[in-house]
Amino acid sequence: MQKLLEQSLDWVDARYPVKKVWDEHLAKYYAPKNFNFLYYFGSLALVILVIQIVSGIFLTMHYKPDANMAFASVEYIMRDVEWGWLIRYMHSTGASFFFIVVYMHMYRGLIYGSYRGPRELLWIVGMVIFVTLMAEAFMGYLLPWGNMSYWGAQVIISLFGAIPFIGDWLAEFIRGDFVIADATLNRFFALHVAALPLVLVGLVFAHLVALHKVGSNNPDGIEIKQNKGPDGIPVDGIPFHPYYTVKDIMATVFFLILFAAVMFFVPELGGWFLEHDNFMPANVLQTPPEIVPLWYFTPYYSILRATTTDMIYVLYGVTVAMAILTVISVKDIRAKGATVVVAAVVLVALNILQPKLWGVILMGSSLMVFFGLPWLDRSPVKSIRYRGWMFKTALTIFIVSFFVLGFLGTQPATGLNTRIAMVGTVLYFLFFLLMPWYTTFDKTKPLPERVTE
Amino acid sequence: MSDDGVNHTRRRLIGLTAGMGAVGGAFVAWPFLASWVPSARAKAAGAPVEINISKLEPGQMLSVEWRGQPAWILNRTPEMLDKLPGMVDLIVDPDSLESIQPDYAKNKTRSIKEQYLVLIGICTHLGCVPLTKLKPGLAEGMEADWRGGFFCPCHGSKFDLAGRVYKNVPAPTNLVVPPYHFATDTLIVVGVDPSMSIHGAEGAKNMNKKMKENLSGSKG
Amino acid sequence: MIKKIIIVLLLSVPALGLAAGNNLKLDSVDIDLSDKASLQRGARTFINYCLSCHSAGYMRYNRMGKDLGISDELVSGNLLFAADKIGDLMKAVMPAEDAKKAFGTVPPDLTLVTRSRGPEWFYTYMRSFYRDESSASGWNNVVFPDVAMPHVLYSWQGEQRAIFKEHEGRRVFDRFEVGSSGSMSEEVYTDTMRDLTNFMVYLGEPAKLVRYRIGTYVIIFLLIFLFVAYLLKKEFWKDVH
Repeated sequence: MQKLLEQSLDWVDARYPVKKVWDEHLAKYYAPKNFNFLYYFGSLALVILVIQIVSGIFLTMHYKPDANMAFASVEYIMRDVEWGWLIRYMHSTGASFFFIVVYMHMYRGLIYGSYRGPRELLWIVGMVIFVTLMAEAFMGYLLPWGNMSYWGAQVIISLFGAIPFIGDWLAEFIRGDFVIADATLNRFFALHVAALPLVLVGLVFAHLVALHKVGSNNPDGIEIKQNKGPDGIPVDGIPFHPYYTVKDIMATVFFLILFAAVMFFVPELGGWFLEHDNFMPANVLQTPPEIVPLWYFTPYYSILRATTTDMIYVLYGVTVAMAILTVISVKDIRAKGATVVVAAVVLVALNILQPKLWGVILMGSSLMVFFGLPWLDRSPVKSIRYRGWMFKTALTIFIVSFFVLGFLGTQPATGLNTRIAMVGTVLYFLFFLLMPWYTTFDKTKPLPERVTE
Repeated sequence: MSDDGVNHTRRRLIGLTAGMGAVGGAFVAWPFLASWVPSARAKAAGAPVEINISKLEPGQMLSVEWRGQPAWILNRTPEMLDKLPGMVDLIVDPDSLESIQPDYAKNKTRSIKEQYLVLIGICTHLGCVPLTKLKPGLAEGMEADWRGGFFCPCHGSKFDLAGRVYKNVPAPTNLVVPPYHFATDTLIVVGVDPSMSIHGAEGAKNMNKKMKENLSGSKG
Repeated sequence: MIKKIIIVLLLSVPALGLAAGNNLKLDSVDIDLSDKASLQRGARTFINYCLSCHSAGYMRYNRMGKDLGISDELVSGNLLFAADKIGDLMKAVMPAEDAKKAFGTVPPDLTLVTRSRGPEWFYTYMRSFYRDESSASGWNNVVFPDVAMPHVLYSWQGEQRAIFKEHEGRRVFDRFEVGSSGSMSEEVYTDTMRDLTNFMVYLGEPAKLVRYRIGTYVIIFLLIFLFVAYLLKKEFWKDVH
């Protein structure tokens, strides 16, 4: 029996690199031994991806992407399909958990400097996954065809209308109609269930390839590959399998407990995971009293809404200040010149373009700045453990701004709320814009030779 | 790493975890597979159909839809019924031993009441709907020795006036008789066995008195 | 630290999206889906009265019967006014066009009303109609001002008048005054509306009857699994120094 098994494996291995892949990516992939709980979120993201794909496939078997039938088909799933409610809640809970997990995964990368060289591409692929995931979630949210689905999509797609000259045409092009309509639903359905999942799976594969090329970072932010034993194995590395497989199994089960708790007991989570207004069918004639995106979009939504005429003056100030700071700091005269030119262009653009468009630009930029992290960070160390007070302060301010913006995104845009959101937006961006300076001047602690417990 | 030979604790724990995982996996698979069974909507659409046969003259046939299939009700004339015993030599399974029908229709006429034949109008070969050729001989474009029955145009299967399949045709078994019963003398319900009838006295017995009070309150 | 922030944020906005409209305080209502008798009474009220004009178009009669412990015969005999078959969806008795003529608008489907507006809203709304000669129907509602719906159950509740007061320059609702009493005492009417609300919560999500129980089993299973997985992890990580 044992022999037959080995022979079959050899037969396959001669034709397909089973052992090689197994060794390279599991049994002989050496990961730092000092991972803490924040390192679970990568594996958990993979778990959620599988949950979403499987539950999603089964939902498409009963769902109807038709403006006249979509809402009813969701209720059909909730009532008439055997266990349909479970599959639907699995998918809706999974959507929110996906973002929780991905945000934690990004936070991990942020505090331990996982974006720094040689992991720039790993970080960039990850950011592309994040942006794709947002598109995936946005399109998926239209499918239940509830009133919030409808108006949320209406508002976000109208943003494209802010782009000069082609905006209105573009918004119409995306919708395939003059308002959100059946055509929009149909194409979003196609993108949500086929196109974007394919892209996501491909990107996740690329993310893993990049990770296994450069190796995992760790909470100390030192490279374990620089300290190898006589056998060529990093002294601080342990094989991913079995050590991290068993650890990840444990984490996954723990995670599933939280997941099940929400899915079975509070699937709406007080309106945070499933919004109350979305239990009314889409109504072209009646906008909900407050259009609130789901929680994972609210920080960006807040930035969008904070960008009023007043914000333009703030942006003048920020632009001028950043230009002065850059001109003082850079030595190269051409760089000084380029800075002045860029700042001048921005100032002119601030004068010409509408605040509405700047809202869109800022919202887009708030995601795009993440791509620049590997080059904005000038610190000699990667991990927060060896950084000084400046980075820690900046990070804290950033995290607080992120949460405040997220919270304000769920609240009515009153005068005071908008003011706070403006401050939050500026602080959010300053974390990135000032990073080259505070990471340069920050006092760092000496790095250890070996990873610490 | 202290792997001296086989580590039994490890083996046991691996087995246990794998077992838990397998059980968990099966639990998760269940709702997904179960979501494929006919939904409440499909069941509602496939609910029993009631057919009033008071206007169905002898020699006439009615076709109604039941679970998306044609259900036929044929009021056979005495002449038609007389022909049935004489068909035995031409028929594969004259006693309906191999075919699908409720026990109460497993008889010479394949029906509850001799006169009324209830059939699913789907050929047992590959699922076409057979043509109705009730009249014998050349009258309906069949051959001269045709004795009346059903003819499947797809592959030439022939059935007699009790839905029994002829020898030497592709269809393997007699046409299916669905569950049905007579709610009244002139009302056939297709889809419900006589024993399960909610019109019978059986159902009424189950009425819970308390429940009835809750439901039948005055209209204000 | 992050977790604390999340918890604080989550707790600070318990009822997002519900606060729409006026700032009227909604009455809390005791929802108990295990109280089958209450659900059955609520079903009777709903089907006899609400379903005349409103639909519950995502719900099937036989599903309701099965969940509430009402036999098919009883549903067919006592509750099936607007449909032919026990497996049909709960459509309104009054055709939509007629309703539009009568009320100026099609009465909304009520299947999900407690999910979109909340049980408290529904419970308070049903008890907040008052006489208003200036409105087309002769009725108004403090929870839903200028609603097109008349007070259908006024013969039960009787008539009440709404007393408004000035508050910071605005006219706000103060209290109700009893006009004429109906066939039910206030207590009985309140209980009847509680039963109705209870039923409406069930109607919004029939799966609620089972998901807590299944969830408990799932979590117990996962806790055992977690324990085993923890032992496995601990066993392997003995190696790592």
